[in-house]
Amino acid sequence: MSDAASNHAAKLQPRSRGRGRKTLKAIWSCRYLYLLMAPALAWYIVYRYVPMLGTQIAFKNYSFSKGILGSPWAGLKHFAFLFSFPDFYNIVRNTILINIYNLLFEFPIPIILALMLNELRSLKFKKTIQTVVYFPHFLSWVIFGGLMIQFLSPNEGFVNKIIEFFGGDAIFFLSRTEYFRGIVVITNIIKETGWGAIIYLAALSGIDPALYEAAIIDGASRTQKLLYVTLPGIMNTIIIMLILRVGYLLDVGFEQIYVLYNAAVYEVGDVLSTFIYRIGIQDMQFSLTTAIGLFQSVIGFLLIWGTNRLARRYSDVSMW
Amino acid sequence: MANTATASAARRPGGERIYTNNALIGAVLILFAIVTFIPFYYAIMASLSDPKLVSEGELLLYPRGFSIAAFRRILENSRFLICFKNTVLRTLIGTAVNLTVQSSIAYSLSRKYLPGRKFFMLFIIFSMMFNPGIIPTYLVVKATGIINSLAALIIPAAISTWNIILLRNFFEAIPESIEESAKMDGANDIRILVSIVLPLSLPSLATIGLFAAVMHWNSFMDAVIYVTSQDKHVLQVFLRDMIVQLQNAYMFGDPLSMTDVSSLSLRTASVVVSTIPIVAVYPFIQRHFVRGIMVGAVKG
Repeated sequence: MSDAASNHAAKLQPRSRGRGRKTLKAIWSCRYLYLLMAPALAWYIVYRYVPMLGTQIAFKNYSFSKGILGSPWAGLKHFAFLFSFPDFYNIVRNTILINIYNLLFEFPIPIILALMLNELRSLKFKKTIQTVVYFPHFLSWVIFGGLMIQFLSPNEGFVNKIIEFFGGDAIFFLSRTEYFRGIVVITNIIKETGWGAIIYLAALSGIDPALYEAAIIDGASRTQKLLYVTLPGIMNTIIIMLILRVGYLLDVGFEQIYVLYNAAVYEVGDVLSTFIYRIGIQDMQFSLTTAIGLFQSVIGFLLIWGTNRLARRYSDVSMW
Repeated sequence: MANTATASAARRPGGERIYTNNALIGAVLILFAIVTFIPFYYAIMASLSDPKLVSEGELLLYPRGFSIAAFRRILENSRFLICFKNTVLRTLIGTAVNLTVQSSIAYSLSRKYLPGRKFFMLFIIFSMMFNPGIIPTYLVVKATGIINSLAALIIPAAISTWNIILLRNFFEAIPESIEESAKMDGANDIRILVSIVLPLSLPSLATIGLFAAVMHWNSFMDAVIYVTSQDKHVLQVFLRDMIVQLQNAYMFGDPLSMTDVSSLSLRTASVVVSTIPIVAVYPFIQRHFVRGIMVGAVKG
């Protein structure tokens, strides 16, 4: 009532100056809130938006003395160099292959783990398993990777002890190009599966129990319940996680590779982030590596946009 | 509900198969749990063993010749101590900075009457859409003059947009009437945040804080990129140097490159010491954060 009345009053005074003053007054009354936001906004400008502007050095010949704005333009020189550089294709291939292997093997396992945990009746058992399998997520790759390297070591690692026990010859896994990507995927599975299952467990707990009751009344078997109630119930979550994953197709975590790899396996293990680090930070090729980063971001953005469109067309899920 | 479901299913013909299935699921889960736990268990056992008796690659179910010599040695290593101190400092200051900066902006964004709220939300969310990449960020960190200092590990990592959104959701759930009555009494927004809103949100702050602390403790990439001098390094870099020595020793079969510091017991002892803080906060993380993620996931 009073709202309508004040609206009416506002219409009776059509001068915009009055409204402008009102806005100013509203802003002034929130001055402390703006003050609270100021440090974070400054952070976003300096550490997010300025670097975005800084990506222009991908099209320049960056030099320290001239700075980002003052360095001379170089056109597409760095991109032309990249696309004629055989190593670059190799690195992109490594990055994509590791991600595809992860998508095939590492992506479905947390779903299976969540489904298995969901079948458990004993709450105590379930809690214990969860406590153990979530834990490695909280260790750094340096620690976890270090332990893995020790396990895979040529003469003394567990894995080789087992191989030798069965009469095989010890293998120096981490120096063999044919094993490296597999090791990356398997260690990733051991470390992150538990944590990855949480989101699916959340989705599972959100399924309406009435659906199961109805299925039981209809005489559904356990497998049928899984296929017709449980899986459809978490399908949206699976699709969203998949979209996010595809968006990261050119992104392999720096820390895992950096800890596990060595010069003997660069050929199969070097990915975009480790390459950018070695060539960019260590050899100071800033423009060239910024070009790689830009390539990576643009492709990533297109991929996430594309999969989102596909998901929207063929299902009712999308991220926006 | 699900309990009655299995019970009734089990009574039907073919019920026995269901029990074997359950046993199978249990066995697979136990196996997976063992695989994830073995590496860490092994590290504890090796670090507690007598350095003279333990050799690489032995399966240790219990420490061989119990000894804490390795821990004593690692705690006497000056480089380890410097790195440990830097990591503790980084974690404490970094977490405090994270919480202060993030809860301040999150509170402002949670006030629905704030003029420009939508714009500011977009402003922070858009930053997640496009990642400028390692090098431009590095150049900015360098330009702001904090490179090769503790600040380089704290300031660029001060904000995670997800955390701001989570905190904002928590703050939005606090009834507005509390804020209004405080305003009547003449309190300004900062006062309200500090003396009313934050005390009411302690569980959520603890969750976000724990997460920030674990992130700081484990973070490795920024230390490698932003810090070059030895005396400013963090634990993760110390541990990684040990691994490199180990890899070189395997690679070139050179026992000399394997210094005393990277011997098995010292290596595992430093891993254990570096993990103790994580183990200490793990029960709290599990309790709060798992629930937090669940709520976030359900909310969409």
